[in-house]
Amino acid sequence: MIEHAGHLPGFECEALRWRRASYSAWGESVEIALPELEAPQAKDLCETVRGNARARLKRMPTARVVDAIDAAIARLLDREHPLRRKAEHILPIVTGYDRETVRLGLTSYLKTFRRPQLLRFLAEDFANPAVLDSFQPAAKGGFLSAHGPGLLLHVWAGNVPALSLWSLICGLLVKAGSIGKLASAEPLTAGWFASLITEIDPEIGQCLAIVWWKGGDEAGEAPFLQAADTVMAYGNNTTLAALRAKLPITTRFLPHGHKIGFGMIAREALDSRKAPALARLAAHDVARYEQQGCYSPQMLFVERGGRVSPAEFARHLAQELAAIAHRHPRRELSAAESSSVAAWRGAQEMRAMGGAAELLGEPTDPWSVVHVERPEDLSPTGLNRTVKLVAVESLDEVPALVAPYRSFLQTAGIAASPTRLFQLSESLGDIGVTRIAPLGRMTAPEAGWHHDGRFSLLDLVTLTEIEQSAEAASEGFAPYVD
Amino acid sequence: MLTQAGIIEALLAFIALPDATEAEFEAMALKLFAWQFRNNEPYKRFALQRGRTPLTVKRWRDIPAVPITAFKDLTLSCTPPEDATHVFMTSGTTQGVRGHSYHPTLDVWKRSMLTNFRKRFMRGRERIRMGILFPDETALPNSSLAHYLGLARRECGTPDSQVFIGANGLDLDRLLPVLAEAETSGEPYALLGASYSFVPLMDALEQQGRRFILPEGSLILDTGGFKGQSRELTPDEFYDGLEAAFGVPRASCINMYGMTELSSQFYDDGNAVSQPVKSGPHWVRSRVVDPLTGIDLPEGRRGVLVHHDLAHFNSVSAILTEDAGEIVPGGFKLFGRVDGEASKGCSVAVAEFLAAARG
Repeated sequence: MIEHAGHLPGFECEALRWRRASYSAWGESVEIALPELEAPQAKDLCETVRGNARARLKRMPTARVVDAIDAAIARLLDREHPLRRKAEHILPIVTGYDRETVRLGLTSYLKTFRRPQLLRFLAEDFANPAVLDSFQPAAKGGFLSAHGPGLLLHVWAGNVPALSLWSLICGLLVKAGSIGKLASAEPLTAGWFASLITEIDPEIGQCLAIVWWKGGDEAGEAPFLQAADTVMAYGNNTTLAALRAKLPITTRFLPHGHKIGFGMIAREALDSRKAPALARLAAHDVARYEQQGCYSPQMLFVERGGRVSPAEFARHLAQELAAIAHRHPRRELSAAESSSVAAWRGAQEMRAMGGAAELLGEPTDPWSVVHVERPEDLSPTGLNRTVKLVAVESLDEVPALVAPYRSFLQTAGIAASPTRLFQLSESLGDIGVTRIAPLGRMTAPEAGWHHDGRFSLLDLVTLTEIEQSAEAASEGFAPYVD
Repeated sequence: MLTQAGIIEALLAFIALPDATEAEFEAMALKLFAWQFRNNEPYKRFALQRGRTPLTVKRWRDIPAVPITAFKDLTLSCTPPEDATHVFMTSGTTQGVRGHSYHPTLDVWKRSMLTNFRKRFMRGRERIRMGILFPDETALPNSSLAHYLGLARRECGTPDSQVFIGANGLDLDRLLPVLAEAETSGEPYALLGASYSFVPLMDALEQQGRRFILPEGSLILDTGGFKGQSRELTPDEFYDGLEAAFGVPRASCINMYGMTELSSQFYDDGNAVSQPVKSGPHWVRSRVVDPLTGIDLPEGRRGVLVHHDLAHFNSVSAILTEDAGEIVPGGFKLFGRVDGEASKGCSVAVAEFLAAARG
């Protein structure tokens, strides 16, 4: 089976060069053809998308765009729809995540983009979303309108299924002509979504293109990087720095680097009834997407003084991870990934021999929990269901332990009383944490989330304002002036 | 009851053998495991944690291999570390923390090095004129490579062999006339050093438009890769570059693979093609395992290398490396380090975190 990736309005399949890539997991394999554009084709595509967006998308009411997205998402949520069935079949093979993880993950994620949630996205960033359609009165006087970029380039990375939809949909909501560059590790969902949009509202479909080039291939990427007004990019800091260096100074660059998530569990949440349930939620956050998400927890800080001790909580957590492994087997790891896990486990094992740590789980288990009793700075684990539990006297110590890694901070999962939730969030906000989630929801940000603390839509637009005095001055030139 | 003197004597005799059968190797390995289990406390704890003791282990393959990172955290020595005459340390390029290898004597280390070096590099030649592209052991007393090259120069180099790296780095002004002289003398010449030391030398020669054609029989030995100390070259770029710059055919360019945490080295038989087969001497056995489970992988499957070096008697003989490898007929293929895997998604993995911490 060959699946063609991408979405290229105005191009015939035969006119393009396709690069084959094969993926296998769970005893099946799939071949995917990725489009490679020649420089003139890439330039044409940029002009076409920009031109179509200017002529069509930008003249449409936002409501029409919302309708189209909502209809496309409804189809992807429908488990009988052929595309949804294809997604459930192929994404596990391509990303390696087990079927149930993909199915549940897709549903919960796609729900973020139904009409009510899309309206929430708009309301989150714009006091009056109508500024996207026409000039609206501004609070300070005068009038404002908001304009998405003429050409928005998305550079996606990583294997988390459908992650690309977040930025792609944000681009559509601000009526930007959008070109997305697929991640080789998940090169499908963005193209499927674009084809659904095209089926539902062909005029919008023509303002969207999904392409691919080999990461770092200068000839392949240059036409896109030169043409875009705004570039939204995902990846590690090295990749992002290299990309930024290639952009014209006038291009707006919106990077989303890699992050480390962590959890905090207060003593009031640690009684014999609540602790096992919390451990299940924490295990869920660890196992979902195998800690590949920026929001995935790698470390848990657990407060002493509750009825369940950190050591006991570590056991509950281990038990839950073992239980999850039955329902959701871990992805098969590459040699390099196994080595990362082994190196991390090895280092913990050495510390355990000195009595400084306790290692739960055998080398052959698809998960590991390390428990330490001394406060420790935030640090990454071996990923793929490896988690470190750090016992602390008080959760108030945690901000100081994570503060040195500000540029890697994003999500903290907190289980604490309302008063402490706000107190802790206050200190975490100060040091750069941008999202507080409950345990169990760390990998599922809510609609309208300010990704990395930024505005999903507002960062994309420029405002045009008619100053109050300009409006007043124009009165003098009205044909009906007295 | 074994004593250290008895172990050393037995090892020197073992190294002196022309070869060793599987059974001979196994017998020596088990004896040494018992010695290390008894005298190396952290290793004993490690072995116990794995449920492996001299009573339960019957095959050398079951002797527990210590992850190489342990040398950073633990003092792995059968004798008190303060009694060591030599302490070799890793360069610490990856994490800033240096792994330590303690040697109460260098007798076995030297015998291992020389016996194997003569066989694999000198190939029957008594001595050769050497140019060393690495600081000597006075400059780097804790570097096993500095000791290795010093020993090579003293025992296998001609009296006019020289070190061309000093306090100010590569001494081109001294080296180039020596190479020119070697070129006209007709006597084979050997250049030995860290892989990354050759890169600026090749760059300088290219800039000056100079090339040497060293006499037939000349040799090059490089080791250790680039480690961020120079540009990274692919094996083909590197060995083509050496052949072009010095006129030494790729087949005479030998790569040594060694590590501070061992007392023996591995060699290939030249780099006419890239990814040549590497092998160690008869007192070393290598395995390729699944890094997580430690289970042996079949020939041709890529995994992580485990080396079992009898000469590393004072510490731990079985080491789980962080090097990717594959068992092939006649030895193994080495594919570089495996620990740099980035996240497949958007979470921070260890490698990126460390890179950021180093700044």
